[in-house]
Amino acid sequence: MKRRTFLKMAGVGSISFAFGCSPPDIHLFSQDRASSDMVPGKATWYASTCRQCPAGCGVLAKNREGRVIKLEGNPLHPVNQGALCQRGQAALQDVYHPDRLTTPLLRQKDGWRPVSFSRAEAILKTRARRAAEKGPDRVRMLTGTVGNSMMSLATQTLQNLQSAPPVVYEPYAYESLKAANEKVFNVNGLIAYRMEKADVLVSFGADFLETWLSPVEYARKFKAMHALCGDSKNIFYHVSPYLGLTGANADHWLACRPGTEAIIALGLVRQALDIGKGHHLPRNFYKFLDRTTAAYTQDRVLQDSGIALSLYEKLIIQLMGARRPLVLGTGTGACDLNGQQINLAANLLNLLLDPQLRLLDFKHRYRVSMASGGSEILKFFSSLDGDGVDLMLLNGVNPAFNLPPGSGVTEALKNQDVFVVSFSNFMDETAVLADLVFPVRLPLESWDEYGGRQPIVSTLQPAMGSLNKAPHLGDVLLHAGFEKNRPAKNYKQYLVSQLASTNGVVDETRWVQLLQRGGKFSFDLKVNRGSHKFKPEKLAPVLGRGTTPLPSSPVFIAAPSIRFFDGRDANKPWLCEIPDPLSRVAWQTPLLVHPRTAGQKGICQGDIVRIRSEAGSLEAPVYVSKLTAPDALAMAIGQGHTAYGRYAAGTGINPIGLLSSRTEPGAGIHLSIGLVVIEKTGRRMKLAHTDGSRIQHGRAYALRASLKQLQQTGPPPRNGLSMHDFPLTLPLPEGYDPQRDFYPPHPHETYRWGMVVDLDRCIGCGACAAACYAENNIGIVGVERVLEGREMAWLSIERFQPPGSMEQVTFLPMLCQHCDNAPCESVCPVYASHHSKEGVNNQIYNRCIGSRFCAQNCPYKVRRFNWFDWQWPEPMNLQLNPNVTVRSKGVMEKCSFCIQRIKTVHDTAKNEQRKIRDGEVTPACVQTCPTGALVFGNLADPASRVRKLVDDPRAYQVMGYLNTKPAVIYLKKVVVDT
Amino acid sequence: MSGAAATGNRKLVFAVLLCTLLTAAFLYFFYFLPKANMGPEQPIAFSHRLHAGVKNIQCQFCHPFVGRSTHPGIPPVEKCLDCHNYIIARHPQILKLQHYFDTRTPMPWVKANYLPEHVLFNHQRHIRHGIACKQCHGEIKAMDRIHGRRFKMGFCVKCHREKKANLDCWLACHR
Repeated sequence: MKRRTFLKMAGVGSISFAFGCSPPDIHLFSQDRASSDMVPGKATWYASTCRQCPAGCGVLAKNREGRVIKLEGNPLHPVNQGALCQRGQAALQDVYHPDRLTTPLLRQKDGWRPVSFSRAEAILKTRARRAAEKGPDRVRMLTGTVGNSMMSLATQTLQNLQSAPPVVYEPYAYESLKAANEKVFNVNGLIAYRMEKADVLVSFGADFLETWLSPVEYARKFKAMHALCGDSKNIFYHVSPYLGLTGANADHWLACRPGTEAIIALGLVRQALDIGKGHHLPRNFYKFLDRTTAAYTQDRVLQDSGIALSLYEKLIIQLMGARRPLVLGTGTGACDLNGQQINLAANLLNLLLDPQLRLLDFKHRYRVSMASGGSEILKFFSSLDGDGVDLMLLNGVNPAFNLPPGSGVTEALKNQDVFVVSFSNFMDETAVLADLVFPVRLPLESWDEYGGRQPIVSTLQPAMGSLNKAPHLGDVLLHAGFEKNRPAKNYKQYLVSQLASTNGVVDETRWVQLLQRGGKFSFDLKVNRGSHKFKPEKLAPVLGRGTTPLPSSPVFIAAPSIRFFDGRDANKPWLCEIPDPLSRVAWQTPLLVHPRTAGQKGICQGDIVRIRSEAGSLEAPVYVSKLTAPDALAMAIGQGHTAYGRYAAGTGINPIGLLSSRTEPGAGIHLSIGLVVIEKTGRRMKLAHTDGSRIQHGRAYALRASLKQLQQTGPPPRNGLSMHDFPLTLPLPEGYDPQRDFYPPHPHETYRWGMVVDLDRCIGCGACAAACYAENNIGIVGVERVLEGREMAWLSIERFQPPGSMEQVTFLPMLCQHCDNAPCESVCPVYASHHSKEGVNNQIYNRCIGSRFCAQNCPYKVRRFNWFDWQWPEPMNLQLNPNVTVRSKGVMEKCSFCIQRIKTVHDTAKNEQRKIRDGEVTPACVQTCPTGALVFGNLADPASRVRKLVDDPRAYQVMGYLNTKPAVIYLKKVVVDT
Repeated sequence: MSGAAATGNRKLVFAVLLCTLLTAAFLYFFYFLPKANMGPEQPIAFSHRLHAGVKNIQCQFCHPFVGRSTHPGIPPVEKCLDCHNYIIARHPQILKLQHYFDTRTPMPWVKANYLPEHVLFNHQRHIRHGIACKQCHGEIKAMDRIHGRRFKMGFCVKCHREKKANLDCWLACHR
């Protein structure tokens, strides 16, 4: 090197070192104007309503520094009473989705062109005016379930454009249930059920823990009915060709042949009549029933349905002898060929067994009742051409994904003469076919009102500022649909005036109170029990024609999914990554095949098979298990999108591609199809499942106790050192035994946090896991990493099945056990896993060097290692909880018992100079649990709820015999008889 | 021969001198330049010495949440203008402030005090225990611009030990 070059480099280097080595500035932005409700570092809560499904649960949105970072159920709301499901928890990911549209897109010959919102509004206005000028009925609107105010505005707008009111489309529209309610009870719509009061519950496929009507509400009511009460327990029978989460929670699953639920239900009607029920009914009606059900003898039921005689007899005895029986009809989508008969028979059974119909709540109607039937939806699309429609508006629907291939949606949307506007925030399958995609505000950013269970009015208010300039749909309609005769200046004004006229919200005070509570929940109602004029002629067309005969080859069932509902939630990475509750497969959509079918065809787990039906064909990996009846193949609806953002597009398989678009009034579009052909392709695929095993290999993880055992004797004395007689050892000084313990006891000051998990109450819905993802900034690893076993969930719902009977599922929420003798703590070379003075097992991220010794030594496998820096593509990073560190590559992490929440409560208590009260600390998982299966509290306080629950004879510790002294105490699941 | 040696010596001397000079320049720029210790330049020339020192305005007047929340809060532009609409309202710096307000632009103050990302300092707890602001932040009344500091664990632990305060990892500081 030349001298000059050296000097130049040294000079420039040292000067740039002096000036340029400080890290880039970080800015602290001050607001221009003070907002009255924002204190930096403190959360502000806004009551709103979840709009992820038509149930309409109340939510409280936690706002930190202007951004909603967490959703929790509104405890005042009568529908969900403080709980939320995993889809509700994940509603946030719509708001912050990286693929959310920020501007309208206009279709051009050479692709999409972004246009401004005002330009898009102008285009829409011109189109609407021109259509209205041409003549009547030239504008059509298809919308998802919306609130009263939005519906009335949409109707008014279309009226002003001389067109018919909007058509409401819901993929799960409960058509046959509505028809049955009309025919038997003479009530219009979907009534509610007082399930909590039942002593025998029978469901003919109604998946009320997953998607049916109002899953959070029925999860709560189900456990109110089904949990151990004293030393007795009520019974739940599930009759269905596939298990599903609801079936997995049943005491008895009657795995019938697909399509034979109706025969069983009518057989039960027959039995009820035989034992003398139904004499309160009018004579002609009784005779009619007697006549039409004569054919459904016990022999026929058993022969056709393939269920075991012993189970059927047990069902008959218990149902007929029940004091408060409740029978529910088919599942969400009328997914059976004989859906109408099943629902009619279910209603008739309720009527026969409980003449006063005490468990049917005629006061309430589910909002989804407003949805149109399948045939009307198909007509909506098929008639576009002939009716000379010019403008079509689509709001909150994705028919191109949800309707079967033969329904002609794609062709209708591609029609050049119709200008299609999709008010979607994402480029989903329907938006891709539209001419203008016009993103509107999402529910968390809007003023609105919705009552999932009428007459409840549940309000929505903006819980955060908007991330883009998208207007509210109501404002778009007011602008585009009216000239000078606008009914209100903006949608909020329209909403307020609507609420004033319909619900007496006449002044500012009442409006504010309404918003604070989250809605109007108490009403003085006259009950319309229906007129109960039982008319045989109404039932005759359905019951008279008998049940449709069984298709001979396997029947393919598209099952509504607890994770993705009808597919609208498939774009949320939390829901993709939280595995399916039963197969434990994440990201992928396996085909569930019964071992017998698999054996006949020579199919193994992970084989890719081709399934063909009359409507289409698809290829899917196989998951072999007894989760279906031998003649059924099942696949979850929701994935397999061709568009809809980076997480949904190309992920999984869409089972709707196999379904037929044939429909009949009162039956809806069937979610099952017979005569499918299944064949091997010769290719294989690794399933991304997160479970190690389905069975327990003889170890004591997820324990069950039979009711008889609990009734007869107290728990056997436990004072040995083996797996079965190791005593319950609390993580308290009293649990210290110098004979057994190597380490001295931990001195805990005042608090020793612990959790009690009641396995009898856990339904395995996974809401807690989603809440944990939201609260603790847990990374999304994607399918490749899950295949490597590197998922990051701090809390996962493990499921175990006894080797012999796969339908007896026990769900085990597994999280860090915060052991007193924590195996992780003793092996950390740098003291990064550390025992806190309140018993929580700390993980000190900056101290961790990533040796992974702790994960190796943890018998519960709850420690997660960051193999990479996980990505939160913008603006998803805005959802991150500022009170929780985002962990980086090379660091171990795990459940912290939501230490940030413990600290917040400590602060409040210190400010008020008192101790923390029992129940004051609620980790995110405990907060959202719909069934109250999780209880958190201070084990050191003898009066606390957790401490009292520990005395339950069902209490045990998972692998407590390793003397880890876990602070998570489980209560055994109770089985009625084994 | 001696000529060549002399040239070599001279070269060496020159090189040493130059290196010394460069090092001195580096040290000057890094440590002694008047600007170096002043702390980061802010969007407007706001002086804490003037407001907190000369005018003796309480810290809490502008950072009102310090006793109520983990974060003390930085004042909204509106708050500055509450006074500065009447005091030196035509000053160029105040006009700049006014511009932020009129255009509804958040002010990009530059962060001066740094804590590692995995630590959450709770101002409320410390204020309620009577810890004065200056115990951690220094003599703000004498600083025009806040030089701030990068807080390290030792700084916290020393005081926590002395005062027998919470020394638990997660329950105290880490998150």
